[in-house]
Amino acid sequence: MINLAVRDILHGWGKFAFTGVGLGLLIGVTLSMAGIYRGMVEDATVLIEGSGADLWVVQQGTLGPYAEPSSLRDDVHHAIAGMPGVAAVGNAAYLTMQVGHAGVESRVMLVGFEPGRPGEPAFLVAGRPILRGHYEAVADEKAGLRVGDRVRIRRHEYEVVGLTRRMVSASGDPMLFVPLKDAQEVQFLKDNDTLVIERARTAANPAFNRPGVPGLLEAVQASQAQSRQVNSVLVRVAEGADPEEVAGEIRRWKRLQAYTTAQMEEILVAKLIATSSKQIGMFLVILSVVSAAIVAFIIYTLTVNKVREIAVLKLIGATNATIGGMILQQALGLGVIGFVVGRIVAGLWAPVFPKYVLLLPGDALRGFVLVMVICALASVVAIRAALRVDPAEAIGG
Amino acid sequence: MADETVPAIRIQGLRKRYGAGDTAVDALKGVDMTVQRGEVVGLIGPSGSGKSTLLKCLGAVIEPSGGRMEIAGEAIYDEGWRIPDLRALRRDNIGFIFQAPYLISFLDVTDNVALLPMLAGVGNAAARDRARELLAALDVAHRATAQVSQLSGGEQQRVAIARALANRPPVILADEPTAPLDSERALAVVRILNGMAAQYRAAIIVVTHDEKIIPTFKRIYHIRDGRTHEEAGEGREP
Repeated sequence: MINLAVRDILHGWGKFAFTGVGLGLLIGVTLSMAGIYRGMVEDATVLIEGSGADLWVVQQGTLGPYAEPSSLRDDVHHAIAGMPGVAAVGNAAYLTMQVGHAGVESRVMLVGFEPGRPGEPAFLVAGRPILRGHYEAVADEKAGLRVGDRVRIRRHEYEVVGLTRRMVSASGDPMLFVPLKDAQEVQFLKDNDTLVIERARTAANPAFNRPGVPGLLEAVQASQAQSRQVNSVLVRVAEGADPEEVAGEIRRWKRLQAYTTAQMEEILVAKLIATSSKQIGMFLVILSVVSAAIVAFIIYTLTVNKVREIAVLKLIGATNATIGGMILQQALGLGVIGFVVGRIVAGLWAPVFPKYVLLLPGDALRGFVLVMVICALASVVAIRAALRVDPAEAIGG
Repeated sequence: MADETVPAIRIQGLRKRYGAGDTAVDALKGVDMTVQRGEVVGLIGPSGSGKSTLLKCLGAVIEPSGGRMEIAGEAIYDEGWRIPDLRALRRDNIGFIFQAPYLISFLDVTDNVALLPMLAGVGNAAARDRARELLAALDVAHRATAQVSQLSGGEQQRVAIARALANRPPVILADEPTAPLDSERALAVVRILNGMAAQYRAAIIVVTHDEKIIPTFKRIYHIRDGRTHEEAGEGREP
């Protein structure tokens, strides 16, 4: 038996191909949206894995350091380091900010870390690690910096000595690693005018400027001009130790919050990017509905344009299954073309997106099944129209 | 071999009423008609006389309101359909030729003809062989692989005739088959129909207004106000 659907497609292949490409672009957008969500989850996972920590110790009652502000004294890590099951600790400060390079401002997540401790960049793809105590930086390659570039951060210039990869914040900003002291200064540094005003206000306060207590005012003013705060203490547990158990001990004895890797993933995925994922989910639903409407409209139009031929087919004895099958196959054919085009364009334009787009084979498979289901459902309207065609229409009168 | 003594078509007291109550219209009020195998008869009448309704009833496209129809001696309608699968009835027993060829645009010439045997379950190769044989008989074998859009109007009409004959039906219904053609081509179509009726032993009913071809029929059914009147035609050579 002749495959009527294939013959019809081959006969009007140009129209069909253009329609398929149009649908494919729409499917490409849909796949990219799914890829953006996967990329966000992947970024969160890499962020956690790349930190080299098993536990994140933060201020009590906060979801820090990535999801909420958290502030700890930078000597807390000494107390944590001495606890059972703890192998290494490292202070970390995080700050999202604008940095300037070659006259161009870009947004980065500044990470202050202590070299050799948890929190340092997991690996480098170019250059060397930070060796000096100040004004050196390691940048994620997405920041667009090269080794040797000089970046202006607040008052100081930093030299980029190394590049890392796939180290971005949960919102997709590339990370810029600097020594902890520098990050603390950047985070809490006040401008000169503010310092002058603050000193004057402190001096005007009789509680800090007592005639009988020499040195008090200077001590208070010195404390206002420096910072000993960090956002988190990253902990690597000893081999054989249970991270959950160690976290429990920290919570109990140090009056701090401690999150395990699983809990941190939960915070990042379920809380931090939850709104974004719902947003993307809504887009996916809308794009699916739009795709279905387009396929339905196209197939319906193709069918309506063939009313006379369908009437002739019915008159000469073609069954409903033959006619319905022809329309269904055309809808599925359109879906296949659209999916192939969509997958290709999604792969082509993924690297151009500012955020990481992760196109998983499983998502592609699910997308293909969804496209086929949508096309099959979309063909129902056209099939109903075709089955309502009266074979008498082929006969005049 | 079909029994040549049994008429290909026999219609007795066929009625068709559209609508009901005060608005009912009796399109056919008791039509009688008999056509033998190998015979080509004309069915003529003014617009609204019931020609198309009769054709649709005969083609099992609409259901009559009463009467009896037989094809090759088998009752297909007797105060109700006697055949459950009307599509199969049309496919196997009735060929259709329309005013316009109405070929399937996305099939080539051979497959337009071969589609019918294929729908009837004939294998692809055998169906295409049969199509090529018919196309050769109708002098369009050289266009066998052409697309419909590449054919002239006359070629398309001949392919449509080949399609009507593809399942070797005992009955062929032709609805104004020469309407868009000039005299020469119209008469050529009649010659083809006469030849095909004789060669394939099909009864052909030609609905027409065409004054050019009416004199070629040996028998003519006039239809007026839903009733038929038979008369002898001139039977001129087309």
